[in-house]
Amino acid sequence: MLQKKICMLGGFAVGKTSLVRRFVQSIFSETYLTTVGVKIDKKSVVLSDKTVDLILWDLAGEDDIGSFRLSYVRGATGLVLVADGTRAATLTVALTLRERTEAEFGAMPFVLLLNKSDLADQWTISDDAINEMRQSGYQIYLTSALSGESVDDAFIQLASLVSK
Amino acid sequence: MDEPPDEVRNWLCSFVYNDRSIAYVKIDDRLLVAGKGGRVEHYGLSSLRIGEPVAGQLAFIEGLLPYTDLPFHIPMVELPNGRVTDLHFFSDNACIWLLFLDATAEHNNKQRIQQKAYETTLLREREHQLNEQLESANEALRKSQEGLSREYQRSESLLLNILPASIAERLKTQEQIADNHAEVSVLFADIVRFTEKARSVGAETTLAILNSFFKAADLLSEVHGCEKIKTIGDCVMVVAGLPLSRPGHADALAQFALELRQAGADENFGGEPLKLRIGIHSGPIVAGVIGKRRFAYDLWGDTVNLAARIQTSAEPDEIRISDATHKLFGQEFACDLIPEMELRGAGRVQMWRLIA
Ligand SMILES: Nc1nc2c(ncn2[C@@H]2O[C@H](COP(=O)(O)OP(=O)(O)OP(=O)(O)O)[C@@H](O)[C@H]2O)c(=O)[nH]1
Ligand SMILES: [Mg+2]
Repeated sequence: MLQKKICMLGGFAVGKTSLVRRFVQSIFSETYLTTVGVKIDKKSVVLSDKTVDLILWDLAGEDDIGSFRLSYVRGATGLVLVADGTRAATLTVALTLRERTEAEFGAMPFVLLLNKSDLADQWTISDDAINEMRQSGYQIYLTSALSGESVDDAFIQLASLVSK
Repeated sequence: MDEPPDEVRNWLCSFVYNDRSIAYVKIDDRLLVAGKGGRVEHYGLSSLRIGEPVAGQLAFIEGLLPYTDLPFHIPMVELPNGRVTDLHFFSDNACIWLLFLDATAEHNNKQRIQQKAYETTLLREREHQLNEQLESANEALRKSQEGLSREYQRSESLLLNILPASIAERLKTQEQIADNHAEVSVLFADIVRFTEKARSVGAETTLAILNSFFKAADLLSEVHGCEKIKTIGDCVMVVAGLPLSRPGHADALAQFALELRQAGADENFGGEPLKLRIGIHSGPIVAGVIGKRRFAYDLWGDTVNLAARIQTSAEPDEIRISDATHKLFGQEFACDLIPEMELRGAGRVQMWRLIA
């Protein structure tokens, strides 16, 4: 049995919980209920040559990065970094969280999700910025927990990265 | 170290047992569940099977064991049954102990506070964002408004340059303007031997002369309440009684003609005074603005044509007026009768020479 611990990292209200819900249960809710501590979910992903169980740690978002508890990330093999495309500042938060986990636990595979792609008219992250990050090797997905756009793709991609 | 007194110990124990349920899971060095105890049902651990690997049974354990650096603590883990627990990892020589300490109340409390804080922050962020959008929209609006009013002023000053003010005003509200004016007086004046002299004095002097000639026409129009309608080469067309009809338009235009002639005489055009040929006629005309993209105010009708014919028939320095204009004079002007003569397109015409 192949199991992998994955952590959802990002600022508060960017949609970490919603993305997990969409991926695991295929549902979405408009109501915001902030996560405190951690909620753990499990989902099997069938890859071409194997099946991997993702143990998804949906962590509380951070308002200030200083208070982030690294103890939650211990034992993780991959990260889902989530930013809210309608709040450009959350991109910095996500990237900083990755740096901090890397400094503590070493580099691990990750995907970067720019979430809420359905809110195109409030979008604040430029195509140029996205392309630039892609150039430097980031795997970026424009996701929507509301519509489900690219959500499965992103998780499946990470599953194949961590089970290599 | 002194033990706490019994009362305190008892109180602490009952506090921990009653208010914070405790359960434990014991894991051996092969990572099998070796035992469990306490209020396991509270955490949904009743079905945990002793002797089987912990990995398949507790999802959160993935990646954490074997782990050497114990004790270790993970706060506020929400379990599948909805309970929230603090997880404590201890070890003795043989086993790892997993201690469950209920934190549901603390979690809910913190969640309530956190929720408020985040919602307020989100609202503020959104407000800030909207304000910025509003500001940049305002800026854009202000810019385009500035552009518009510049455009407007430009087109207005253009209009005023070529049209009488009252006509320009109407043009801004209407599309086409055509007025019948019962009675006006029309004057044409041009410079004698202009082309020939222009060649001899050169372009610069010629332009300067034309400029002061037209300026004089503008100035005198204003003085005498006439309108300069247009210039054609070295010729000006001036009308009195337009755009608002007025009595004494013939008198006004005659006065205008005399002073324009004098203004010419004061100029020096290639060593000579500037000589004009002036003609005036009075009668009904049609005035209007034509053109969709470029406006031009103009006059039409037989009165205009005849005024032009009279002007071309005039001698150098002469102001030649039609009999119709002469009849309209209310003031005393010195005039000589010119013997009736044939004008092209107009037949035999009675005219006068305006002297002073
Ligand atoms: N329109 C839109 N709204 C979304 C999307 N994803 C999440 N939301 C909304 O964003 C809000 C926050 O979503 P959550 O999933 O709770 O965010 P979170 O990252 O888990 O937040 P914390 O737990 O506080 O860190 C909720 O109101 C969601 O309904 C999305 O893709 N599109
Ligand atoms: Mg959440």
